[in-house]
Amino acid sequence: MGTSLESLDSLAREAEATVAAAATVQALAEVRAGFLGRKGSLSSVLRGIGRLDPTERRRIGQAANACKDRIESLVARRRDQLELARVEGVLDGRNLDVSLPGAAPPRGRLHPVTLIQRDVIRFFSSMGFSIEEGPQVETDYNNFGALNFPDDHPARDTQDTFFVDGGHVLRTHTSPVQIRTMSGRQPPFRFIAPGRVYRHDSGATNSPMFHQIEGFIVDETTTFADLKGVLYAFARFMFGPDVELVFRATFFPFTEPSAELDIPWEGGWLEWGGCGMINPHVLENCGIDPDRYQGFAFGMGLDRAAMQRYGISNIQRLFDGDLRVLEQLG
Amino acid sequence: MKVPLRWLGEWADLPSLETLARRLSLGGLLVDEIERRGPDLSAARVGRVVERSAHPNADRLSLCRVDLGDGEPVAIVCGAPNVEAGQTVAVVSPGSSLPDGTEVKRAKIRGVTSHGMICSERELGLGAEDEGILVLDSDAPPGSPLSDVIEAGETVLDIEITPNRGDCVSMLGIAREVRAHFGGALRLPPCAPREGARPAAADVRIEIEDGERCHRYAGRVVRGARDGPSPDWLRRKLEAADVRSISTVVDVTNLVMLEFGQPLHAFDLAKLAGGEIRVRRAASGERLCTLDGQLRELSTDDLVIADADEPIALAGVMGGAATEVTAETRDVLIEAAQFLPSSVRRTARRHGLPSESSYRFERGVDPEGVERAAARAALLIAELAGGEVSAGAVVALGDPPPGTSEILLDPARVNRLLGTEIPADEVRELLARVEIDAIPERQGLRCQVPTYRTDLHRYQDLIEEVARIWGYDRIPTTTPAAPLQPILPRPLQRLIERVQDCLCAAGLIETMTFPVLAAGDLDGLRLPPDDPRRATVGIQNPLVEGANRLSSTPIPALLHLLRQNRSRQVDRVRVFQVGHVFAPRAPNELPDEPCLVAALVTRGQDAHLWEPRDPVPLFFEIKGIAERMMEAAGADATFRGGGEPYLHPGACNEIAVAGRRVGVVGELHPEVARHFEIDCPAGLFEVDLGALSACPPGAAGFREVSRHPSTRRDIAVLLDERLPAGEVLEAIRKTAGPHLMGVELFDRYEGEGIPEGQVSLAFRMVFQRPDRTLKDQEVNKLVDRVVQMLASRFGGEQR
Repeated sequence: MGTSLESLDSLAREAEATVAAAATVQALAEVRAGFLGRKGSLSSVLRGIGRLDPTERRRIGQAANACKDRIESLVARRRDQLELARVEGVLDGRNLDVSLPGAAPPRGRLHPVTLIQRDVIRFFSSMGFSIEEGPQVETDYNNFGALNFPDDHPARDTQDTFFVDGGHVLRTHTSPVQIRTMSGRQPPFRFIAPGRVYRHDSGATNSPMFHQIEGFIVDETTTFADLKGVLYAFARFMFGPDVELVFRATFFPFTEPSAELDIPWEGGWLEWGGCGMINPHVLENCGIDPDRYQGFAFGMGLDRAAMQRYGISNIQRLFDGDLRVLEQLG
Repeated sequence: MKVPLRWLGEWADLPSLETLARRLSLGGLLVDEIERRGPDLSAARVGRVVERSAHPNADRLSLCRVDLGDGEPVAIVCGAPNVEAGQTVAVVSPGSSLPDGTEVKRAKIRGVTSHGMICSERELGLGAEDEGILVLDSDAPPGSPLSDVIEAGETVLDIEITPNRGDCVSMLGIAREVRAHFGGALRLPPCAPREGARPAAADVRIEIEDGERCHRYAGRVVRGARDGPSPDWLRRKLEAADVRSISTVVDVTNLVMLEFGQPLHAFDLAKLAGGEIRVRRAASGERLCTLDGQLRELSTDDLVIADADEPIALAGVMGGAATEVTAETRDVLIEAAQFLPSSVRRTARRHGLPSESSYRFERGVDPEGVERAAARAALLIAELAGGEVSAGAVVALGDPPPGTSEILLDPARVNRLLGTEIPADEVRELLARVEIDAIPERQGLRCQVPTYRTDLHRYQDLIEEVARIWGYDRIPTTTPAAPLQPILPRPLQRLIERVQDCLCAAGLIETMTFPVLAAGDLDGLRLPPDDPRRATVGIQNPLVEGANRLSSTPIPALLHLLRQNRSRQVDRVRVFQVGHVFAPRAPNELPDEPCLVAALVTRGQDAHLWEPRDPVPLFFEIKGIAERMMEAAGADATFRGGGEPYLHPGACNEIAVAGRRVGVVGELHPEVARHFEIDCPAGLFEVDLGALSACPPGAAGFREVSRHPSTRRDIAVLLDERLPAGEVLEAIRKTAGPHLMGVELFDRYEGEGIPEGQVSLAFRMVFQRPDRTLKDQEVNKLVDRVVQMLASRFGGEQR
């Protein structure tokens, strides 16, 4: 082949066809070597360049470099094409039915009552209440006597008590924690006592085991108006900013004055809990001067709040261990 | 308590029903339900018959034009013989229904269209009268609701009385509360009988032997009465209050009890041995046949009413059969008394006899109402059953009842406790509404408490009276002031939250169950006779027969839960519980209540597309969860040999922290599975969180990551197949020195090419230094040391 512009041109055209025809990366490498290698066509075209005059040599030299670049770029483009096709081929070979669901790890759940209890603890911690606890089997004195339930008094009928060995009871409310916390100490007190309590009763709205939260402040100045303030804040946290509370006069042995807390709910009433100013007898029983110190206590069920949150109408659903139910909650 | 509205209206001035129910409820007497009894007359209206003519096509029918107050009179066809022009009648128009549900339609009757129905008493559900239409004696305007014109049925309030308000278990008490809220009059029925000349004291002697338990006993005598059925008004009144009518004398005692809250009893005076009443304790061995026909062994703790010979009634609880008033009775002794509440309560409970009477005595009766009630009953018996009331009452007194008649109240205390600004005068006025006389003195208000308010003892009780009459809803809403203080969660609480979160993240569902053991649970766990968990705390009044011991271990609850869920076709069960168990201590001490976490995991039978063909044995799955949990708890836990009788002896570990056992993990023992009817393998663990929170925390902090490459070496060693690999790993860790980053067992092979009784274990060790790259020779030296140790200590031979 002569050393001429024409021969470079035809070389480039030939390369174009040959590169396009290379079917694999391997073949492409061979094609490239055939044109650009030491023994390649371009080299042989340039072999006669020394015989040309300087002007012609420069012209042909520039054209040859352009031709080389052109072929390199053809090869590169073809290499990209082949690489892409290879990857696509691999992808093609993997054909998942992507409409199937994912292989999720097994689903864990915290119990709805745990979640409510955590919310409540978080709320009252933010209000400066510490957390106190007490045992579930209690003395008759801590559960009743110290809380101003006299022996042989009908007030005890309201408590549906489980009696256990040793003359003790399964605590019927979290209020014994008041006695444990205050006895032998002096105010101020400001705490909550969440926990498990028991009543001898079972049905759609009553479980023999359920959960309460007790809240408590004793100092020299806390009033019934403060009680209303704290409970409004709590109710708004639990039920939303527009919640209405009704404080209805009632009787508890351990508070005076006492109130039931009702919330208008879906056309009826949600009996949410009880509260009041701590009865002076209770303070005296803990060695605290009731003329100097005063304060409030309130208590409410957590389970009912959990039921209301998830729209459960039968409390037994929370405690019968049916995973078909529990895996939906929490 | 059932309070018929019409009856209450005889005693007090009533506002609208809605206002009444609301204020009573807010003030402490919760109106649980408003019950409307009798026919629903809401569809019936008053009509006036303007014109009556004979029906053109039927002899017995009349064609009436009736004014219903809304324009032109309408035509109504009526079949009643008594219909006349000018009558005021009850009409139900087309589209409405009769009380029995029958719909009234516009209908053509023998060619004439009738626009409604003129009703008879029976059609309105008011009575049996069906001879003709109901003709009203009223000039009410046509169109007004029929219920405005005739009283039909009854509205009954069901009021919940709190245990402190014994004074409210009566019409009188409710009427007083109504007056406290709304003012107005309080109307008492007549209580002074016309008396004969013969003094009651000549008929009966009364003596109180136990003055501590009987404060007051009043007897009234009616001579020559004849008991029989009660008149209609009396029966209706009792029925409205859900009390069954029995006979005049009994009904009167019940009526007066409902009116005044004072339980009464009527004796046949002729049957009283010696004509006397003795209020005393039962003697040991005495028996009494009560009105219900039961022969009862009496306790010496029972207060009884006795005649000269023997007990004739359980005081305040139930009368005796022998002295019951019958049709033959002529002379009646009416008992009204005040007994010690706790004594009545104990007797009623001992004999399983809660009654309307004991209910009221337990809550306390008004000492000043005792004689009034007896007198009222005597009046009614004489009026309704005939006879003559003997003159006066025979009254015996025991010890005066404990009570507070005077309380000093500083009015400033009211506002200090409530956070209100109620002026002192208003405090006095509010107290006056509940019949408390408050006399201002230098130290405050000297308050005279009425005898029926046995619940008021201290000034705080008076503040409650002020607050509830003033209205809780009027008390302002404020925020308490208190010093800022940090609130930190307790260690156990924090530990529980971490454990819960970790197990939840590991795909376990938290459950909560009532902590009782079922019969056979502990045997089912294969616990030996001397296992401490065999000692349990008994429940004396279990809810379910047999479930009478508090749980001493959380495991049975999980196993029952597993079985129940399997029977509900739940394929995979992965659950945990955090809760207390109960271990008895000395007899008078409260039990110990350790807090445990327990978890249970099964595999389902349904395999899924994406699951490995050969999953790790269940033991390693549950152990992995336990390891992860211990890590989350911040504990440096060791898993070592040991277990529990309920675990598979070949697949269990004990979990220890700082050398102390805190729990176990393993697969369920097949025998235990069989006992609990469990049809699949299960992995479990339990950890004592109390013990765990007492353990020193694991080493925190981190080790800097080396910039230099690590070196990996694998060795395979022939070892005795019984040798625990965990022990070998531990030995390698100790031998290889500080530059060993980690070692793991990556293969275990036995079979072809391996001598009998031996196994090939392959370990992978990774070495690295923080400061420079380890040289090959250095690593070789460390590996040689390990190989030599394995040979000398375990007889291991490198392959």
